Amino acid sequence: MEQANPLRPDGESKGGVLAHLERLETQVSRSRKQSEELQSVQAQEGALGTKIHKLRHLRDELRAAVRHRRGSVKARIANVEPNRTVEVNEQEALEEKLENVKAVLQAYHFTGLSGKLTSRGVCVCINTAFEGNLLASYFVDLVIQKPFRIHHHSVPVFIPLEEIAAKYLQTNIQHFLFSLCEYLNAYSGRKYQADRLQSDFAALLTGPLQRNPLCNLLSFTYKLDPGGQSFPFCARLLYKDLTATLPTDVTVTCQGEEALSTSWEEQRASHETLFCTKPLHQVFASFARREKLDGSGLLIDCFHCTGNTSEK
Amino acid sequence: MDETVAEFIKRTILKIPMNELTTILKAWDFLSENQLQTVNFRQRKESVVQHLIRLCEEKRASLNDAALLDIVYTQFHQHQKVWDVFQMSKGPGEDVDLFDMKQFKNAFKKILQRALKNVTVSFRETEENAIWIRIAWGTQYTKPNQYKPTYVVYYSQTPYAFKSSSTLRRNTPLLGQALTIASKHHQIVKMDLRSRYLDSLKAIVFKQYNQTFETHNSTTPLQERSLGLDINMDSRIIHENKVEKERVQRITQETFGDYSQPQLEFAQYKLETKFKSDLNGSILAEREEPLRCLIKFSSPHLLEALKSLAPAGKCQTKEY
Repeated sequence: MEQANPLRPDGESKGGVLAHLERLETQVSRSRKQSEELQSVQAQEGALGTKIHKLRHLRDELRAAVRHRRGSVKARIANVEPNRTVEVNEQEALEEKLENVKAVLQAYHFTGLSGKLTSRGVCVCINTAFEGNLLASYFVDLVIQKPFRIHHHSVPVFIPLEEIAAKYLQTNIQHFLFSLCEYLNAYSGRKYQADRLQSDFAALLTGPLQRNPLCNLLSFTYKLDPGGQSFPFCARLLYKDLTATLPTDVTVTCQGEEALSTSWEEQRASHETLFCTKPLHQVFASFARREKLDGSGLLIDCFHCTGNTSEK
Repeated sequence: MDETVAEFIKRTILKIPMNELTTILKAWDFLSENQLQTVNFRQRKESVVQHLIRLCEEKRASLNDAALLDIVYTQFHQHQKVWDVFQMSKGPGEDVDLFDMKQFKNAFKKILQRALKNVTVSFRETEENAIWIRIAWGTQYTKPNQYKPTYVVYYSQTPYAFKSSSTLRRNTPLLGQALTIASKHHQIVKMDLRSRYLDSLKAIVFKQYNQTFETHNSTTPLQERSLGLDINMDSRIIHENKVEKERVQRITQETFGDYSQPQLEFAQYKLETKFKSDLNGSILAEREEPLRCLIKFSSPHLLEALKSLAPAGKCQTKEY
């Protein structure tokens, strides 16, 4: 018998039928898989659908609750209508209290040392002053964590902050802050004196004021009678104590003649004493006043110079 | 006026762009107002330069004046140089630093002139207590080369100095010595910090990069800042993602602050690490010695780039 073509409808050959059966089998299994997949997808869809329904239901419930809450608050307000003015007064009183507290906190600046708590620790503000004049403010942001450390700051780089921190920060924060306050206030004070000299008494200076960043070395030449015939004085002020606003060493020399008359020598010596004991701009203020009072420009009595105590 | 000086001034002025010329000449403060008014700055550059040279000759410009002009030019074009940072230190228990400008200048000049007969040293002080020093180097037998000077910016009563990096490296130890001795320090060390931006180097080294501080006077509470964030956010971002975004924003702000970052162009780190691998028995993972790597980050503005990484979602943030 010839090999029957499996596609012939009357092909009874076994190979053909078996092959056909095989094909049918694979078709069935494929369609079964597909229907299974379809079923699982449908199941997932169904699950998600129910989830969506649940969430929507939950959302509606929450919305209803919010509406209810709002309604009840409104009702409460409506009921309390006649007492509204009392509430408003209370609110105003509270606001006033709040403003007061804020003002007090801001006023702490005038004590020279104030601070504000931060998320890490505290931000300390040092407000420097000299002779009742409020000068620059400096900040130190401290991290309160063992070990204490400085997060960042606005202290000028020539102030020995690291040295002071190395000495006191870990053991005694109070000492650290007070020491830093000392240095900064002294620096501000020296700077104030130098600035005042340059701005207010430029007429008495015969040359530019030599100064350095810390304002702890000042060098200048000055005349008691500007435009007059007298020789200028040279002053050199050294502030070796960085926590002081008065110099530790003063040298006043007189340019010009080697042989100084006794009056010039007296003057020179008295100036040295003045610079050692009084703030710089006050010394020059007394020079300016003396010049006004007695036009000759000669020293009359050096020990009666009255630094204005009311300025303190 | 010496021919070399004239040539030097001419070349310096030629470098200056026309729109900066009057500003720089005024800062130089050598030619008077009257002299400058006689110059027609709308001519071709060559004619302007020739006129200016004639005016300098009338005023008998010296080498020092020419050097000052060079310093002014460099101050206006700081970014053209790469600056290194040096840190000096004093011995323990040293006296208070009584910095005397005249003394410093004299000492500095003397030390250099004693070592190398031929050297041009010029100084220019700026308002922020910075001294700009220009050094033109020669040798025992040759005149100083004015076209390859070294600049040093020294902040008095601080241990820091910035030096322009130059190719003439053999003079660096002498320069360091002069600076150390003149400023009454003991030692000088080069820091691992280099940039074109002097201001950024200053901000990093003086720790002045973040100058915002919390006080009771501040009127902008932190909440206002985060409100700004909300306005810019996509309306499709819902609650969970918003919380995450705010957390990232907060950590970024705590780490980097609100201020603009100092400008660094690259950062290099040495890293020693062992190899981590999922596959067992890989040759690299079994290696005893750690691997030594050099990691380099570079960007036109490195710190701002790093700051924007977390908010852009490109890296994770962790609190610790």
